[in-house]
Amino acid sequence: MAKSRIGRAEQLNGWLFIAPALVLLGIFMIYPILWSLWMSFQTGRGMNYSFGGFANIIRLTEDPVFIRALTNTGIFLVVQVPIMIVLALLFAAALNNPNLRFRGFFRTAIFLPCVTSLVAYSILFKSMFASDGVINDLAMVLRLMDAPISWLGDPFWARVVIILAITWRWTGYNMIFYLAAMQNIDKSIYEAARIDGVPAWARFVYITLPMLKPVILFTTVISTIGTLQLFDEVNNITLGGPSDSTLTLSLYIYNLTFKFMPSFGYAATVSYVIVLLVAVLSYLQFLVARDRKA
Amino acid sequence: MNKMLARVRNTAIFASGISLLALSSAMATEITVWSWDPNFNGATMKEAAARYAVTHPDVTVNLVDFAKADLEQKLQAQLASGTTDGLPDIVLVEDYGAQKYLLSFPGAFEPLNGKIDYSGFAPYKVQLATVDDKTYSLPFDSGVTGLFYRTDILAEAGFTAADLQDITWDQFIDIAEVVKEKTGHPMLGIDLNDAGAVRVLLQSAGKWYFTPDGQPDIAGSATFKAALETYAKLLQAKEIYKPVSGWTEYTGGFTSGEVASVFTGVWMTATIKAADMSGKWGVAPLPKLAGVEGATHASNLGGSSWYVLSSSAEKDQAVDLLAEVWGKDVDFYQKILVDQGAVGSLLAAREGEAYKATDAYFGGQAVWQSFSDWLAQIPPVNYGIFTNEADAAVAAQLPTLANGGSVDDAIAAIDAQVRAQIQ
Amino acid sequence: MSRLAANLRAALVYGLLSLAAFLSIFPFFWMLVGTTNTAADIIKGKVSFGGALSQNISNLFAQVDMLQVFWNSAFLAVVGTILTLAVSSLAGYAFEMFQSKTRERLFSVLLLILSIPFAAIMVPLFVMMAKLKLINTFTAILLPIIASVFIIFYFRQATKAFPRELRDAAKIDGLKEWQIFIYIYLPVMRSTYAAAIIIVFLANWNNYLWPLIVLQTNENKTLTLVISSLASSYYPDYGVVMVATVLATLPTVIVFFLLQRRFVEGLTGSIK
Repeated sequence: MAKSRIGRAEQLNGWLFIAPALVLLGIFMIYPILWSLWMSFQTGRGMNYSFGGFANIIRLTEDPVFIRALTNTGIFLVVQVPIMIVLALLFAAALNNPNLRFRGFFRTAIFLPCVTSLVAYSILFKSMFASDGVINDLAMVLRLMDAPISWLGDPFWARVVIILAITWRWTGYNMIFYLAAMQNIDKSIYEAARIDGVPAWARFVYITLPMLKPVILFTTVISTIGTLQLFDEVNNITLGGPSDSTLTLSLYIYNLTFKFMPSFGYAATVSYVIVLLVAVLSYLQFLVARDRKA
Repeated sequence: MNKMLARVRNTAIFASGISLLALSSAMATEITVWSWDPNFNGATMKEAAARYAVTHPDVTVNLVDFAKADLEQKLQAQLASGTTDGLPDIVLVEDYGAQKYLLSFPGAFEPLNGKIDYSGFAPYKVQLATVDDKTYSLPFDSGVTGLFYRTDILAEAGFTAADLQDITWDQFIDIAEVVKEKTGHPMLGIDLNDAGAVRVLLQSAGKWYFTPDGQPDIAGSATFKAALETYAKLLQAKEIYKPVSGWTEYTGGFTSGEVASVFTGVWMTATIKAADMSGKWGVAPLPKLAGVEGATHASNLGGSSWYVLSSSAEKDQAVDLLAEVWGKDVDFYQKILVDQGAVGSLLAAREGEAYKATDAYFGGQAVWQSFSDWLAQIPPVNYGIFTNEADAAVAAQLPTLANGGSVDDAIAAIDAQVRAQIQ
Repeated sequence: MSRLAANLRAALVYGLLSLAAFLSIFPFFWMLVGTTNTAADIIKGKVSFGGALSQNISNLFAQVDMLQVFWNSAFLAVVGTILTLAVSSLAGYAFEMFQSKTRERLFSVLLLILSIPFAAIMVPLFVMMAKLKLINTFTAILLPIIASVFIIFYFRQATKAFPRELRDAAKIDGLKEWQIFIYIYLPVMRSTYAAAIIIVFLANWNNYLWPLIVLQTNENKTLTLVISSLASSYYPDYGVVMVATVLATLPTVIVFFLLQRRFVEGLTGSIK
């Protein structure tokens, strides 16, 4: 490993190069984080709080809303992240082909959703999926269904709409990381493989994917964190409803902090549930990435 | 070009950490006010400031407007931080949240007893801002409810204004069914994620999610059961309403002319009048809960009040502005009623000219007079500090109720969730 | 491969890409259409151009000092992007290039920082800024975002593809570490930087919760805050909102359009 090669001068440089970031993070992240950690052991209303020990953790286990939010977040994570990662990879692979026409157009188009304003697209998504919206009209004309679906009024379909919305918004975003990474792959490897008669799908699986592994790992971890903190879409499209079917952990934290009687301690505790989940999931993701290397 | 340079210089000043506030405080008194709708409550405060400036030319009001949810976030984060830097002098707070703020952040708001004559205001507005015999708000707009309806559609179905007087919710559903059958128009737009209707029903009978001393009043409350049963009946009559999701689609339902009626707070008047349907709208009293003791035709939805921050440097001036204009200027209330459609809570204002005027948009009906009559009849309830928690618990059960779920099961689930949340 | 199969595959690829492009562009197009329609038409979901554009624009400029607001957003986004890339790419590079046990552990801790919802640390951060007398300043907005764990992590992962031979060769030529970073690493990794600029610019431009808490006056508001306030009145004028959202979207689209060429060039030319 690199460790053994590293000398004293490099040690020094290693610290110097990360020093600015470390100082800033130390001041503006570590203190607030310690504060919130301390808060997670406090109970009370607003600013009238006192030490409560593990009261907040006990409250978690007895809170039906928290359980619902945790379940919903888990569903979004398991269903949505894989779909999005695979789609983004496929788009990136297709758009990286130098013989493809209109590449610039397709790239820009697929990237557009993540810059389209949240306000605009949530109004549009709501109107498209309204009971008399264009999606229902289209499906009825095509005879895909007999009666209009109340997309946002039905717990199951509301989740589907949210998954569609996140995938729509973030696929192009993830694609950018893959496109950028594909430029760092040596073209001559592809040439050699092509001359050897390796088919395109095999080049993708055996050359592109392994070379992209660090970035795939990166996007998976980032998307996992993003989904665990999912807030914008549910807050703007469904407000967590109907029947709390799209209530996420992040929206619940928001409600506990700003909408409900402020319980900063309990909100902090729910935040640390997210941290814990990220810790476990990222560890697993790093482990999987390492295994494949061996 | 010079303007650009000025901007760059301004930015440099901000970047070096000197706040503009510090620069301007040496000059005349400036009262900073946070509110959330520049066309509604912001505009009314602007009018108040203009009137106050006539007698106090050295006082200016600096209005900063945010989205309502943004304002609540900002206020809550800053109060929680314990630092008073950057807090305004006056802030607008929605009535449902008043007790929550007053009890979570004791000492943050200034009691106004002795400076404001509270006997002149609608009692329910005063009560909701009172903690331990101290009252903290200048009561502003009322959310007095009424049933706005399309006179032309109802007429097509064979109903007149008289048919909507003094009816129960069951009668309302019957009428709605006829309207749907004869005209094809849904009577209401209903959002299954919004429990506002249940709040309206509860308060119309003088009850709330909680008893006056703050205990849940859900399982075992005859009024709560009647309110939920009534609303479930409405939800199950699926042909009479259009399912909507979110505010835009909700208001879009009646502004587009599709939905035939809406029961809501008086502040909706401006939205209804913004559509181009003059002469086609009317206002009727809210239908009543049948067989419930204390049930009335008057209720409330939303509404807000002004609060002075104790940390304010211009506290006395801010209180004086509220007392002088908002506390007694009847003429001011006529002006904001006409311009913004804002129904204030100062009872004396009801005797003014504007309140007696008829409105061609509502077919020549004296709508403001009706609303102010109902305003005086709204049963006062204590919203307590957990209204949002209870609301979320009720909303979670609405889709099940709409699909024919048992009301008793829903009540049990709501009660359990509320009890788990209010600790 | 037979000619038929190749044609079929091409048709499939173009078909799917066109479908994806349509789905992606449509809401954007609708937003553009919305700038020309009245609020009532927008709520109905009207998809054709209307005649309300000049009215919407003049209403927006009458309500908001757009020049000031746009300048605020642009200043924060540009300065924020430059500082973030400088500080965070340096750290990401170093975490990968100079590995040590202590720094590895530190890196895992940083990843956890990334996973804490901002709402949980907002209040203490506000207290700090108040103590530093930085409330209502742009400095307070920039300080917590310059060192971005997200970007550090991204550069670390991207650096794994950086050819170490280049660095070794440069060392033999007598270049110092900082010279290697500036003269070798930066140009080689330009597609990575292009992606990072887009991502960071987008994040800073749309930054919402923290500016909302820190900024106190109308003169300092950013475009995102203004749109949020316009879109949530009792009776929002969506025509005006649409004009504001299009103005808010353009800079990111332009940044993307200018930088996307970097994704096709890659590791070519003088460096190799």
